[in-house]
Amino acid sequence: MREVLDRPVPTAAADLTLRRGAARVLITNWTGTSTVPSRTLYPHQWSWDSAFIAIGLRHLSVRRAQRELEALLAGQWADGRIPHIVFNPDLPYGAYFPSPDFWQSSRAGRNAGAPEAAETSGIVQPPVHALAAWLVHRADTAESRRREFLTRLYPQLAAWHRYLMTRRDLAGAGLAAVVHPWEPGMDNSPCWDRPLSRITPAAPDTFHRADLNHGHPADRPTDLDYGRYVHLAADYRSAGYDDAVPHQFAVEDPCFNALLIVSELALARIADQVGADPGLHSARAADLTRTLVARLWDEDTGLFLARDLVDDRLIPELSVAGLIPLLVPDLPEPVVERLIQTLDGPHFHTKSTALVPSYDLDGHAFDSTRYWRGPAWFNTAWLIERGLRAHGRDTRADRLRDAILTTAGNSQFAEYVDPTTGAGRGTRNFSWTAALTLDLLCADDKEPPL
Amino acid sequence: MLKTAAQEQLLPGKSLQEKWEFAQNAGYDAIELRAKGDFHFASRLPELKQALKDGVVMPTVCVEMLHFFGAFDDELRRDALAQMKSQLTVIAEIGGLGAQTPASYGMFSRRLPPFEPPRTEEQDREVLLSGLAELGEHARKEGVTLFLEPLNRYEDHMVNRLEQAADLIRETGLDSIKIGIDSYHMNIEESDPAASILANADYIGHAQVSDSNRFQPGAGHLDWPAWLGALHTIGYDGYLAAECRLTGDPVDAVRSIPAFLQRSGA
Repeated sequence: MREVLDRPVPTAAADLTLRRGAARVLITNWTGTSTVPSRTLYPHQWSWDSAFIAIGLRHLSVRRAQRELEALLAGQWADGRIPHIVFNPDLPYGAYFPSPDFWQSSRAGRNAGAPEAAETSGIVQPPVHALAAWLVHRADTAESRRREFLTRLYPQLAAWHRYLMTRRDLAGAGLAAVVHPWEPGMDNSPCWDRPLSRITPAAPDTFHRADLNHGHPADRPTDLDYGRYVHLAADYRSAGYDDAVPHQFAVEDPCFNALLIVSELALARIADQVGADPGLHSARAADLTRTLVARLWDEDTGLFLARDLVDDRLIPELSVAGLIPLLVPDLPEPVVERLIQTLDGPHFHTKSTALVPSYDLDGHAFDSTRYWRGPAWFNTAWLIERGLRAHGRDTRADRLRDAILTTAGNSQFAEYVDPTTGAGRGTRNFSWTAALTLDLLCADDKEPPL
Repeated sequence: MLKTAAQEQLLPGKSLQEKWEFAQNAGYDAIELRAKGDFHFASRLPELKQALKDGVVMPTVCVEMLHFFGAFDDELRRDALAQMKSQLTVIAEIGGLGAQTPASYGMFSRRLPPFEPPRTEEQDREVLLSGLAELGEHARKEGVTLFLEPLNRYEDHMVNRLEQAADLIRETGLDSIKIGIDSYHMNIEESDPAASILANADYIGHAQVSDSNRFQPGAGHLDWPAWLGALHTIGYDGYLAAECRLTGDPVDAVRSIPAFLQRSGA
């Protein structure tokens, strides 16, 4: 009895405090048209950040959530790509590197259809946007219809997916490929070490890293890797951001493609609402699901792995990206079962935080604090929580939900945490951490995944 | 869920008791009183006490005069101070929370001819601080709060934004003065109303609601969920008092407000 009494129980008051804290972050990081991921480290608009932020913002202001996605899509290119950064024109170039004068989108990207008015990066991030748009719509369907939110977004989201399924199907096998380690969103993952080792780093004196002005060097990528990132991006820019030009870095990432599948399913729902053909999108989701399993599932490790398209081999590194396909509703049940075993096995199970590390705890490259080489992130945990629920593992999902909420509150909405201690790392008051916390606190338990 | 109140003139009914009956049925938690000059509010004390006895909830009063404690004219200013002190005393006597006043209303706008007011900014500030000190001290003695309401630039030239009110209040050093925010004025003056609520959280004591066009909440284009979400975020637990004009059928319009605010996250 005493043990029961001593155990801290989540209270309504704690939830209220957390909700207020999360809302405070989102209000503070709002710029008038969109949300910065962090007031200190990331002063522009980031693509997949905005999608996650909109998912939380819908509980605070549906109108702001809609604006968040609309502002991002204002930077969309004519070829359909949604750039990973839309730059705030009011800030000096030195506010972030690579800055607009590095990407030179309006000039170098002209043939690929970069917008003339907005400066953006030339690469992309994972396609969470259609899922976000659908969830934002569902938060207030009357307001969505009044503003014709889905009607306006549908053609843009459809163009985005079309871009990924055509120009980015670099292997011609039916999955979207990424051409830079920043594209899958997990910039510094050990998964990219092998493909990156082929790249000659740009000379250190040719660029100035802005991420170290606020981030701790021990948490951030090394200078050598940063030089490689810069080289790859500069090559892509020199090619006019043309995807037909051969890429030195080309990878099929399981998280990126799982999100594309879920977003295709969301797009089918959206198409249905706006009088377009949902069949195209659900058929594409079904094809993608089959191809994902065929090309990226690794039975030996019980995980989806990234495929390096330069040598057409799976990359033998265990990353949280390989768990994200749990989100896919039509994943074969034996694969679901294996994935959950992997999630709860020695590679990803941490007693201390119950969050999911970004990389194999036993892996040779594990680093508990360095960007995507071990730390646990809140967006991946949120996606896995959602995946567990999609497959009826509610008890397991509840445990992860509690861990996300507790850790988010204790870490002041950290960008990520040390998975072995739960200690916050990176910047604090990070927008998607707050947004996804708010979503877990406010979303209707009975809300269907799609 | 935040509590809602309607200003008395919006409610149908001859007496406060009748108005309260309507207000309750519409989902309101209270009535906000209005106080005319010439000590009219004090003359209503027997009526107010009877209403109180009959269960009418009347936590706040809003001044309804044409001169205020920031008046250019000394005599008018002195009268405004006397009126406000009396209103604070009366609202204290019926167990209320406080009385709301702007610095001035309709006296001068820097956006309209002749553009330059007769007093300098320093002189304005001196007058406001002296008035606030006097009223705040009186409120403290009575155990109630003076709510200072920033008005938009066309209605007052001295206190338009929350930060200006907070700055004056900070200088008085009195806990008995808070900001009485108004969504309509904030929509005109604040670049981000929700962010302003967070930035001035410690000074916010009361809230009046009307939409972007001064009509009842729901009749304009304010982002109510963001505004109300910000109030929740700072732990505001006071009233949302409807001070607005009405469009459409007036009775339906008044009746619609509590449900609209609730749907919008109140």
